[in-house]
Amino acid sequence: MTPDRSGLVGRQLRKATYTVSEVDVNDFLGVVTEPAFAAPAMDSEIDAEIVARRLAPPSFAPFVAVLGLLKTFDWQDDFLFDYRTGTAMFGEQSIEFHRPLVVGESVAITAAISDVYEKQGKNRFDVIEVTFSIASVEKEDLLMSGQQSYILFK
Amino acid sequence: MTVPMSKPFFEDYEISMPLPSVELGPMDRYDYIPIALILRDTNPLHLDRVYAHERGLPDVVQQGPLNQAYLYRYFTSLLHDPWDLVATKMRFAANVFPEDMLSCGGEVLALAPLEAGGGIVTCAVWQRNQNGDTILKGEAKARIPSRP
Repeated sequence: MTPDRSGLVGRQLRKATYTVSEVDVNDFLGVVTEPAFAAPAMDSEIDAEIVARRLAPPSFAPFVAVLGLLKTFDWQDDFLFDYRTGTAMFGEQSIEFHRPLVVGESVAITAAISDVYEKQGKNRFDVIEVTFSIASVEKEDLLMSGQQSYILFK
Repeated sequence: MTVPMSKPFFEDYEISMPLPSVELGPMDRYDYIPIALILRDTNPLHLDRVYAHERGLPDVVQQGPLNQAYLYRYFTSLLHDPWDLVATKMRFAANVFPEDMLSCGGEVLALAPLEAGGGIVTCAVWQRNQNGDTILKGEAKARIPSRP
């Protein structure tokens, strides 16, 4: 029997944190080459200052959103969805950028279920819309905000 | 007229103007391993071709955020500063598989001048595979400076 997910609207998801680590960014750049964001060589104290202000590329932002959001919910408890047997997909993602991502900084992700509705394509599925914001843990200023929808097939 | 590959200024943009398109690929299944590690997502759909075959798919599926990253890189490469990116909205429409060739492109939808100079350019953006199937479609918005 398919669960009724309409009562999930308004549900606050758990807070999560993620560190935009140098390892993750470097591994990412090993696949998605962005020379302007490559790791600088550390030869001097001046270089150490540059490293401390190194930015991640905007192309890494969807990774931060996806990774961060996956930490904010439990498929079963929050979406009433059995990930082992069901099929889920990403739907639409919208992001507003408030400032660049700095390599090494930790970010806090807060999210809530803002809408749930059923749609019919080839199959019937529920769409769960999650509204999120991502802020610096240290400075508490906003980096990104937006919405991500998840498609849960019935 | 197409937006030139050299960094255009706000005055260079016109509504309905196509952005230059780029091709990339072929996609490499070995890239999915570091991406799975970064995403902490070891779903076998991205790594195990037998598992993918058993689910009726021709091969493992490239991770969606990686598809997005290529489209982000494409769009931000047109900007004077990649972090002039203001907003994006994207919909996942189809899967990408190893050896696929991808193309990225777009078109100018709206222009909004800023009092301080330059303006906000809103573009439709898309990513397609070698068969013309749409992988990602949506919009991207960025700040573009005025010609000095």
